[in-house]
Amino acid sequence: MQVIYRQKVLQEIEELMAIYGDDRSSLLPILHAMQDRYQYIPDRIIQTVAHALKIHPAEVEAVVSFYSFFETREKLGKYVIRLCQTISCDMKGKHNVARQLQNELGIKFGETTRDGMFTLRYTNCLGLCDQGPAMLVNERLFAHATPDKAQRIIEECKRDFIRSEFPWTVPSILRKTGPLLNNGTKLNVGLKTALKKKSKDIIEVLRKSGLKGRGGAGFPTAFKWQLATDDKSEQKYVVCNADEGEPGTFKDRFLLYEHTDVILDGITIGAYAIGANQGFIYLRTEYRYMLEYLEAALEKRRQEGLLGKGILCKKGFDFDIQIRLGAGAYVCGEETALIESLEGERGEPRNRPPFPVDTGFFGRPTIVNNVETFAAVALILAKGAKWFADHGTDKSRGTKLFSISGDCERPGIYEFAFGTTINELLKEVGAEDAKAVQIGGASGLCISRNDFDRKLSFEDLSSGGSVIIFGPECNMLDVARNFCDFFIEESCGQCTPCRIGNMKIREGITLLEKGKCSSSYLKELVKLSDTMHLACKCGLGQSSGNAFTTIMGGFREEILGQVLSASGGKVS
Amino acid sequence: MNKINNLGKEYRSRAPKSEKIQDVLTFKDKHLLESKIKVTIDNVECEVPYGTTILEAARMIGIKIPTLCYHDNLCIAGVCRICVVEVDGQRTLHASCSYPITSPMVIRTHTKKIRQVRRHILDLMLSEHQGECYSCCRNGHCELQILAQEYGIDFYRFGHEVKTVFGRDDSGYSIVRDMDKCILCRRCVRACIDLQEVGVYNVLNRGKDTYVGTFMNHPMSDVVCINCGQCINHCPTGALHSRDFSEDVWAAIDDPAKHVVIQTAPAPRAAIGECFGLKPGQPLTFELNTAIRHCGFDKVFDTNFTADLTIIEEGTELIQRLYHALITKEEVALPLFTSCSPGWIKYIEHFYPEMLDHLSSAKSPQQMFGAVTKTYYAEYNNIDPFDIVTVSLMPCTAKKFECNRPEFVSSGYKDVDYVLTTREMAQMIKEVGIDLPEMPKSDFDEPFGTATGSGVIFAATGGVMESAIRTVYELVTGDKIEGIFSQMRIKPVRGFDGIKYAELKIDKVGKVPGILKHIVDDWKWLKGVTLKVAVCHGTANAKRVLDNIREGGKLSECHFVEFMACPGGCLGGGGQPIPTDKKILEARAKAIYAEDERSEVRKSYENPAVLKLYGEFLKDGPCGHKSHSLLHTSYTPRTKMMV
Repeated sequence: MQVIYRQKVLQEIEELMAIYGDDRSSLLPILHAMQDRYQYIPDRIIQTVAHALKIHPAEVEAVVSFYSFFETREKLGKYVIRLCQTISCDMKGKHNVARQLQNELGIKFGETTRDGMFTLRYTNCLGLCDQGPAMLVNERLFAHATPDKAQRIIEECKRDFIRSEFPWTVPSILRKTGPLLNNGTKLNVGLKTALKKKSKDIIEVLRKSGLKGRGGAGFPTAFKWQLATDDKSEQKYVVCNADEGEPGTFKDRFLLYEHTDVILDGITIGAYAIGANQGFIYLRTEYRYMLEYLEAALEKRRQEGLLGKGILCKKGFDFDIQIRLGAGAYVCGEETALIESLEGERGEPRNRPPFPVDTGFFGRPTIVNNVETFAAVALILAKGAKWFADHGTDKSRGTKLFSISGDCERPGIYEFAFGTTINELLKEVGAEDAKAVQIGGASGLCISRNDFDRKLSFEDLSSGGSVIIFGPECNMLDVARNFCDFFIEESCGQCTPCRIGNMKIREGITLLEKGKCSSSYLKELVKLSDTMHLACKCGLGQSSGNAFTTIMGGFREEILGQVLSASGGKVS
Repeated sequence: MNKINNLGKEYRSRAPKSEKIQDVLTFKDKHLLESKIKVTIDNVECEVPYGTTILEAARMIGIKIPTLCYHDNLCIAGVCRICVVEVDGQRTLHASCSYPITSPMVIRTHTKKIRQVRRHILDLMLSEHQGECYSCCRNGHCELQILAQEYGIDFYRFGHEVKTVFGRDDSGYSIVRDMDKCILCRRCVRACIDLQEVGVYNVLNRGKDTYVGTFMNHPMSDVVCINCGQCINHCPTGALHSRDFSEDVWAAIDDPAKHVVIQTAPAPRAAIGECFGLKPGQPLTFELNTAIRHCGFDKVFDTNFTADLTIIEEGTELIQRLYHALITKEEVALPLFTSCSPGWIKYIEHFYPEMLDHLSSAKSPQQMFGAVTKTYYAEYNNIDPFDIVTVSLMPCTAKKFECNRPEFVSSGYKDVDYVLTTREMAQMIKEVGIDLPEMPKSDFDEPFGTATGSGVIFAATGGVMESAIRTVYELVTGDKIEGIFSQMRIKPVRGFDGIKYAELKIDKVGKVPGILKHIVDDWKWLKGVTLKVAVCHGTANAKRVLDNIREGGKLSECHFVEFMACPGGCLGGGGQPIPTDKKILEARAKAIYAEDERSEVRKSYENPAVLKLYGEFLKDGPCGHKSHSLLHTSYTPRTKMMV
């Protein structure tokens, strides 16, 4: 039995505080270290952490219990197997893998084997939707899981040796490149060009390029940066949002790994433009296998003078980047929740306004941008605004990466110009028989055949790049249930409409499955999702009813038909 | 005398969330903050200062927006979403409680969309709000119930399951949690962390599993809780309430063998009218006496009597400590801390156990009362103390814990048997069928019916200090306090500033009065000394003061510091009528100070009954042997560690 000595824990905490600072923002890194070392974070450790950081133990427990990768009650196994339960993996045979894992280990999901070797958990999107079912064993990612493969992995874990048959980092499947990925620019050209310009000129270039945020909300990047630049505060921050949690998105995983320096260029340009000297990459813990690689990339840049004091010999421009790990919370992709998380709080979105551009990390102006946005910034600076603005539509300039998964012949990463229709996209990926397409992940819209001429663009179908295709055999009620389950778990739980609203929709789906939902109650539920859209505190809550509403709108006949088949055609 | 309010940034405790919310106003140009913004709310135009929230702006022009998670005393959460409004040009609705107005805008507070949303939110809350209204302590004054009524909820649109999920936690003496009624507004969380810096509760888990819990789900009897009850006073529903001992009190009243006496504290008397529909600030002291006798209590006494006793004992202790510090140069802990507030006592025991020697060893007035009732009063009236049941009416939930402390049995019996809060007393009176404001007036019973204005003002923050100054100053100098403070109003220690500081120079000294002859021979050693005192209320402020003292800051020079656990002092206690906000506190305080000024005697040492007690019973004087065994206590170092 492992004995936890408070004095030793305290010493470890103090060492971490020396690295991450003695304020509350070091809480998550400390908790990660504790979880790693002790395999859980019991009350004893929570109290020690709390008193070291001068906060209340209940506050630390609140944080620990918020994130799904931390555990307080019982020790996790030596190997924690996390099977992705999100829609794309669900469609690719997750159930069989799940059953086999349970059979092999003799435990159910959520449990730990008695010898303390294995813990079985479900998790939400691992960012490997095109190669599902995806499975995470501790930090290690496995693609195309099958019952047989699951068994082999367990065997190898038991021997504490995982063979090279399973590569450390699963390569992304890149299907179609465009100007963005085929840019032909040399390393750091963007950054070098930027540093020759004044802040306002950089923003002017971005304004001309028409670049809008690639995370999905589509806020004009130049405008965001302008607001942060105008603020007179001495301390400002740049945050790269690498919390790619939207079901069906995996393009940031690719960019972070394959185009690391372009992104880091972009972040550095952002810092230079707004006058920040500290940056963060908020990396979701599901991508932890990349951490070492990214840290090495940062270190290399420090040695090359691309980070640190006087970057590229530019006097007075000091900037460095820290990587902070998330801990398993989809909602932290929302920028204010992300900032809360960075500050060591529960990842609960803040009230807006005030916006992060004037009141962000510790109340200071902070720009939070998506990984792809920073990549685009660096390339725009290197190749000019026109190069970028020539692509896309009037209101949606440029090209964008799309993560395509589901029922299609060629899932993977595609670069499309904005304005591409769904029909064109389906043809490209080999899914012309699709019955429906989910644009924008769980929070996006489900488009049925009649609307396949709609365009991927901010003005029509806006998204962060997630496209999930549903083939003709797909049961749309299953899809609705999967998305709804996702939100029930991933809602931060603070605001009423999101927390309880999604539970009520879920209950409604159960009624539909049983064939016991009256059409007037269904109508009420659709109205409820409208309420959620209007009244929720953050974008997650506001869009959490989208999938349900659009599926009920587009497939009403099918779902009501299913009511009959579920009850065997008889009215009971 | 001068005041300090800002101790400088370095002495501030960790930034509570409330400061974070106001961020919109920090780091901003001054001219912006002073500017006015034009807004139109429901077609009414008005101008508001930059940064005003929509809710505040609407209130300024008399437009009511419903709220649940919002509370005047607390930082903003913006989580319940009931207060949403439409801002022209914006896609979604916004929570008016958290939306700062920084540019001109047109706002609507009741449109079709808003009505739909508010009804849905209420429907959703009710679907998860377990239990029925008629079996709830907040029936009739529950904020959720009132909103359901205002919005015409007449059926459960999204169902209403009646099942127990959490169950009731009544393990503690003071606070009962019934989380099945919780609507997750987080007011208790914010009260406990932001107002009190105790941190009993927090929001745990996320999504559908979110709930407000204690650390590791420990029962209330085990957590680091000071029992102040601020969470109860800030709860909109019946999820939190005080542990009600009125059944036991009724049982004692119904038992003919028992002699049931009650002491009433000044704060509940100033506030109980609110439970009967009166506006705040109308004291019902003497009506209450009649009503209490109607309920069947044998005697009604005034806690102010022992408040005066406390001043004598604590004042004597202060003089002793000063004497040791200045003359005999012994190691004594200064400043001396007051010990009247049981919430504060438990706070320092948990969080600053190393500073316990600063606490005055004098018991709180409630416990002194219990002790003298079961000894002096029992002897005087020839009643077996075994048959005496002492009840106290208090504004406080922590008193319930205090009377159950194992050390409070100095009479040989439990000194105080039961504590009723203001709310519970009102309930008992209603049950008897009495309309309290219509009751005829009647006086307190002897021998503990004579009190002074000094005892009355104990109820407000600064009151103990003011009383102490009145008595100590006059005993030492022989001069009248009116000479420096007109009408005895010692204003520097009054008011609701978080931390108050005052200095008083002793220019001349008089003769040592008889009552203190056994303590000192003369006052010469005090001549020219500047007495430094501080007053704070709310344990978040107490923390700031203690940190300042520990770090050797300005407040470490103080001689005497008054601490009250609840914001506003006892007037804002956890057992007082709900709601309590700044305006209500001010009204109650006004009533208290008016009662003080109506009193014939306004200085503790002039209370004839107190002098009689020393003459007849506590013959070896203040801080003497007998008073030590009956009126003084010791404290238990606790820890903030729970495992």
